Amino acid sequence: MTAAGSVSAAPATPGPGRRALAVFTRDKPALAGAVVLVALMAFCFLGPLIRPTDQVHTDLGRANLPPGSPGHPLGTTDLGYDMLGRLMTGGQTSLEVGLAAGLLATFIGTVYGAVAGYFGGWLDAAMMRITDAALAIPALFLLVVVATIVTPSKPVLTLIIASVAWLSPARLIRGEALALRSRDYVHAMRLMGGGGTRAVFRHIVPNAIGTVIVNATFQIADAILYVAYLSFLGLSIPPPAADWGSMLSTGITYTQVGYWWLIFPPGIAIVLVVAAFTFLGDGLRDAFDVRLQRTRRNRR
Amino acid sequence: MIRFLAKRTAQAAVVLLLVSVIVFVLLHQLPGGPARAILGPKATPQAVEHFNHQQGYDRSLPLQYVHYLRRLLTGDLGESYKLNQTVTAVLADRLPRTLVLTGLSIALAAVLAVPLGVLQAVRRGRIADHLLTGAAFLAYATPVFFLGLVLILVFSQRLQLFPAEAPQADTVGGILSDPRALVLPVVTLALGIVAAFSRYTRSAVLDNLSEDYVRTARAKGQSNARIMARHVLRNALIPLASLLGLYLPTLLSGSLVVESMFNYPGMGLLFWNAAQGSDFPVLLGVTLVVGVATVLGSLFTDIAYAVLDPRIRSVP
Amino acid sequence: MTDSLLRTDPRLPTDSLLRIDDLHVEIPARDGDRRRTVHALDGVSLDLAPGEALGIVGESGCGKTMTALSVLGLLPGGARITGGSVAFAGTDLASAPEPVLRGVRGNTIGMVFQDPLTSLNPTMTIGAQVAEPLLLHKGVGKAEAWRRTEEMLRLVGLPKPGERLRTYPHQLSGGMRQRVAIAMALICEPALLIADEPTTALDVTTQAQILELIDELRTRLGMALILVTHDLGVIARRVDRVAVMYAGRTVERAGVRALFAAPRHRYTQALFAALPERAADASQPLATIPGLPPSPADRTRGCRFAPRCEFASERCETEEPPLSTDEGASRDAHAFACFHPVPPDADPVAQLVPAVPAPVPVPADDVLLRVTGLTKDYPLRGGPFALRRGAAVSAVAGVSLSVRRGETFGIVGESGCGKSTLGRLVVGMEPPTAGSIRFGERDPAALDRRARKAHRREVQLMFQDSYASMDPRMRVAAILREPLVIQGIGDRAGQDARIARLLDDVGLPRGAVDRYPHEFSGGQRQRLGLARALALSPSLVVADEPVSALDVSVQAQILNLMRELQREKGVAYLFISHDLAVVRYLADRVGVMYLGKLVETGPAATVFASPLHPYTRGLLDTADHADPGDGAGVRPSAAPLGGETPSAADPPSGCRFRTRCPYARDICAREEPMPAEPGAPGHAVACHFPLAPAAR
Repeated sequence: MTAAGSVSAAPATPGPGRRALAVFTRDKPALAGAVVLVALMAFCFLGPLIRPTDQVHTDLGRANLPPGSPGHPLGTTDLGYDMLGRLMTGGQTSLEVGLAAGLLATFIGTVYGAVAGYFGGWLDAAMMRITDAALAIPALFLLVVVATIVTPSKPVLTLIIASVAWLSPARLIRGEALALRSRDYVHAMRLMGGGGTRAVFRHIVPNAIGTVIVNATFQIADAILYVAYLSFLGLSIPPPAADWGSMLSTGITYTQVGYWWLIFPPGIAIVLVVAAFTFLGDGLRDAFDVRLQRTRRNRR
Repeated sequence: MIRFLAKRTAQAAVVLLLVSVIVFVLLHQLPGGPARAILGPKATPQAVEHFNHQQGYDRSLPLQYVHYLRRLLTGDLGESYKLNQTVTAVLADRLPRTLVLTGLSIALAAVLAVPLGVLQAVRRGRIADHLLTGAAFLAYATPVFFLGLVLILVFSQRLQLFPAEAPQADTVGGILSDPRALVLPVVTLALGIVAAFSRYTRSAVLDNLSEDYVRTARAKGQSNARIMARHVLRNALIPLASLLGLYLPTLLSGSLVVESMFNYPGMGLLFWNAAQGSDFPVLLGVTLVVGVATVLGSLFTDIAYAVLDPRIRSVP
Repeated sequence: MTDSLLRTDPRLPTDSLLRIDDLHVEIPARDGDRRRTVHALDGVSLDLAPGEALGIVGESGCGKTMTALSVLGLLPGGARITGGSVAFAGTDLASAPEPVLRGVRGNTIGMVFQDPLTSLNPTMTIGAQVAEPLLLHKGVGKAEAWRRTEEMLRLVGLPKPGERLRTYPHQLSGGMRQRVAIAMALICEPALLIADEPTTALDVTTQAQILELIDELRTRLGMALILVTHDLGVIARRVDRVAVMYAGRTVERAGVRALFAAPRHRYTQALFAALPERAADASQPLATIPGLPPSPADRTRGCRFAPRCEFASERCETEEPPLSTDEGASRDAHAFACFHPVPPDADPVAQLVPAVPAPVPVPADDVLLRVTGLTKDYPLRGGPFALRRGAAVSAVAGVSLSVRRGETFGIVGESGCGKSTLGRLVVGMEPPTAGSIRFGERDPAALDRRARKAHRREVQLMFQDSYASMDPRMRVAAILREPLVIQGIGDRAGQDARIARLLDDVGLPRGAVDRYPHEFSGGQRQRLGLARALALSPSLVVADEPVSALDVSVQAQILNLMRELQREKGVAYLFISHDLAVVRYLADRVGVMYLGKLVETGPAATVFASPLHPYTRGLLDTADHADPGDGAGVRPSAAPLGGETPSAADPPSGCRFRTRCPYARDICAREEPMPAEPGAPGHAVACHFPLAPAAR
C-alpha cells in the first residue's frame, strides 16, 4: 500500500517554538518593537550610570531652562531637575511598576480564568459575574478610589494596578480554556484513558501559553498607561520620586506659557513604550498562531 | 429574542448587585470606615461610636449590606464633605454634562471611524491603508492626557484657534451654545475611539467582503459600490452597536481625564476634585453611578444589537 | 497550443451558447519569501448548446469551481484569466469589461453556490434578495418585482411564498435556503444556470429534491445548465454531457452514457473504479489511485496524471496529450487527452482490480458489544425564565444493537438522526440518559476508575476530522505515543518500535514521526487517525464519518486500509456514515437510523437489496448512483422521500417517520412500532407496515 509521498526523508520539522521564532523575526514591526524596548530599558536603567544627575534636590535657580541649555540637552523642569536625567529615573518607575503589575495581573488572571473555564458550570458563572461587575466600574475610577485610600509606593502601586488589571486576562483565558477543553484532541486523549491532569498540562496549557504570553505584553502596556494616568491625576508615588505620568502632569501647568519641553519628552516616551509593547504583542500573536502558519503555507 | 432579553437583563441585574457589593466593600476599606465617611474626618470617637450604633454599623456585614442597599434604592448616597450638598444632588447636576461630552465624542468617533475603516478595507495593502493603520496604532498608544496636552499646545497656545478651557455654563444648553470651547475636549476624547472603531470597521468589512453572500451579490450583477452599501456595511456595522457598550468604560475613564484637563464641570471633574480632597462619599457615589451606567449602557447596546440583527431578533 | 482538433475544425457547429476555449487562470502566490504562480486553470475547453445540461466533475482542487467562476468573471482576489476565451452569446466574457459582465450576471447567466447558509445575506429578507436581480436588470417597479418574486418562490417549491418574502435566511432549513438561492438565480429567466456543488451541503433526501427541482425548472424555462460537482452520482442522471477535469485541465469530454459506460481517459477509469458502488463485489478491495493530485503550483511537463498512472510511458512525461477523439469531429464525439486510452470495449473496472484473498468469515455468535435501549436526551438550555422547562432534544431514543467480534457494523442516516451521538455513547465520551452498553459481560458504567481506564483499550474512536483530533503542537511520534504512555504499555524503546510498526501498518513512512499534523494531507491524516485508534489494539473502533471529507480516490485508499487492517487484527468497526455506497461496501451488517431511532437492522446485502422499512427504501431510491441508467424505468417506482426531517426536540408521536411515510395510518401516530423480523432471520424492522421483501 502506497501512501502519498509528500512526507519524505527531509529533516525533521522544527517545533512550534522554533517556528514561532521564525515567523516573529520576519515580522518587522514586532522586531522594531523589541529593539525599541531594549533600547528604552538600557536608556532608563543604564543611562543614569553613564550620566548621573541629581534627581532629589531641587535647584530653582536653574528651573525651566529650554532644551539645548549648557549641560541640559533636554532642558530642566520647573524645579530645576535635568530633564534627560529625570526621563531616565522616571522611566525606571514606569517600567518597573508596569512590568511587575502587568505580569502579576496576567498571572492572577490566567489562574482565575483557567479555573473558571476548565471547571465550567455554576462555578464559572459565579466567577464570571464577579469579573463582569468589577469590569463594569471603569478601571481608572477603581484605581483612583484605591489610590486615595492608601498612600502609594512602588510595591503598593504595583499591587493596586494588578488588583484591577487582572480582570481582562481572566476573561480571555477563561474563554480559551473553555474552547480548548472541548477540542477533539482533548476528547481523544480522554478516550485513551487519560485524566484531567494530563489534559491540563499536556494539552490545554501548551496550547494556551501563546495567548497568555501575548496577553502579558498587552497587560504590561496597559499597566504602564495606568501608572501614567494615576500620576497624571496626582495619585502616584509622592515627589521627589517621579515617573513619566507625573512629569506630564507638571507640564500641564506650563502649557499656557509654552514650556513644551516639559511635555513632549515624557509623552513621547510613554507612546514609544506602549506602541513597542503593542507591536511586540501583535507579532507574538501571529507567531504563536499555528493555524495562521498553516493557512500561510497552504494558501492557494 | 424575548428569551435572550430576559436572560441578558437578569445577568445585568446580578452584575448591578455585585457592583453595589464592590462599592460597599470599598466603603468599608475607608480609613475610619463609613462613620468617618459620613460624619467627616473631624468627628470625635464618641460621635463615631454613637453613629456606628445608630446606623447599625456594629452589626454583621450582611445586615449592613442590606441596610446600605435599602438606602441606595431610595437614592440616598450620603452627603459630600466639601460641597455642602447631598451626593445625589451633585450628581444630578453633573451627570448630564458628562453625557453631553461623551455623547458628542461617540458621535464624532462614529462619523469619522466608519468611512476611514471602509476606506482602509477597500484600499487594503495600499499606502492609505498602511498610513491609517500606523496612525491608529499611534492613537492607541497615546494616553488621552498627552494627546490633550499636545492639542492644547498646538491649537490653543500656538494657533490660538480654540480655548484650552471647556465651556463653564451651568446648563446643557449653555454648554452647547459654546461649540468652539467644546472642540478640544471632544476631539481629545474621540480620537482613541476613532482608532479603535476604524480598526474594527476595517476588519469587519474585510471579513464580510470575503463572505459567500458577497459573491452571490456579485453573481447577481451588483456593482461593488452597491454591494458595499446594501450588503456589507449593514452586516459589518451591526456588531458595532455592542462594541459601543464594550467601550463605555474606556470612554468614561477618558472623560475623567479630559474633564480634569479642560476643567469641564462634569462627573469626571467632580470625581477628580473629590479624590484630591478625599471627599469619599462623592468618590464612591460617582464610582457607583459610573458602574451602573456601564452596566445599563452595555445592556442597551446588546438590546440594540439584538433588535438590529434578525438572527437574534426572530428567535423566540 | 493543444486542443487544436476541435478549435480548427470548420465543421464544428456554431450554435453554441457557451464556448470555453483553452482557458488559463493564474493566481500569484507566495511561499515564504518566494513568489510563484499557481496555475489554477491550465487549458480548459468546453462547449454548451442552448438548453443543454453539462456536468463538470473532478476532485477537489482540479479547477472545476474556478472554471464556473471565471465564466462570470467572479474569480477570487488576485486570480486572473491569462489566456483563452469564454464566448457567451457572441461576447467574449474573458476580456469583457466589468459593466458588461455585470449586465450578464444574474441576468442571462444565473449562478447557485454550494453552501446555501453562507451564500445568502443573513440580515436581508428573502424577498429583497430574490428581487434584487429583477430590480437591477429588468427595470421593473417594486410592486411588480415583489409579485414576480412571490411567483418565483412558489415555482421553486417554497411553501407559503407570500409569507416567506419577509423572513430571513436563518429561519429556513438548508434545503429551503437552496431553493431560495435557485429562485434568485432564475428570477431573470437566464439562458444559462451554473450550479456549483448545489447539493453537497445537503442531506441525501434533500439533495434528491433539489436536483429534481433544477431538472424540472430547466425543462420548464428552456435554459442550459452547468452542474459542477465532485460526485459522479449527482451528474449521472442529470446532465447530457460531462467534462472531467484533472489538475486544471479538461481531460475527457463525452455524452454522459458514453462516459459512464466506457471512460477512455485513464484517470476517469481509475476514478470510476474507486467508487464503492462500482466495486465488483463487496469482498474485493477497491481500486485506488496511488498518490495525490499534483499541486497546481508545480507545473509539470507532459500529462498531469502521468505520475499516478500505471500506463504512463516516457511520452506521457514529456508531451502534453491533446484533447482529441477517434470518432470523427462531431460535437458529441467522445474526446479525451490521453496517449494510452482505455480500449473502447474494455470492462473499465475489472481491469484495475487486483486479486486479493477473500475476507475471513465472521464467527457467527461471538458478540462483542451489546447495546440495549440506549437513550440520550440533551436538555434544552434555557435561562432563568426559560419558557419550556424540562424540554429536551431526543438525540438517541431506545437503540438496541449488537456488534460481533471482527465484523463491521454500519450505521447510516441523515444528519441529525443521532448516529454520531450513538458513536459517542458507545466509546463512553458521554453518559447515556438510559439503557446499557455491554462489552461481553462487562458493563463499563459499573467499573471503578482503574478498571474503566483499562477498559478504554477495548474501544477507540476514529474521528471525522483527524486534524482537529490531534494536538497541533505535538509531533506524530508524541501523538502515537500518548495512548501507550497513558496505558503504561512498553518502555520507551518498545513504544518506538510499536509506533514504527503502526506507521508501516497504515502505509506512512517512518520519517513521519518528526512531523506535525498540519503537514499531512487529508488522506494521510485519516491514516494517522486510524494508526492512533489502533495503537492500543482495541477490539472495537468506532469510526465516525472517517472518509466523508475525502476525495473519491483517497476515500478508496482509506476504505481498503480499514478493511485490510480489520482482516489482520480482527478489530470490529462501528462504522458511521451518511454515505450509503460506502456503508454498503464496507459493512457486514447495517443499522438505519431516523430521528434517534434504529428503524432497520440486518445483513448489509439483505437490507440494501430488499429493505423492509419505507425510510430505508426511500433513502436507497433517492440516493444517486453513479449510473446514468438505460433511460426508462431506472427510477424505482416507490416515491422518493418528500418533506423534511422533523425537529428532534419535538419528535412525532408513535412512529417518528410517519410524517413523511406514504403508508402511514392512524396506528402509526398512536403506537410506536417495535422491532420485528418479518422476513429473513436477523433482518429486523421497526414498522407497522413493513414492505414486502423485493422479489428478485
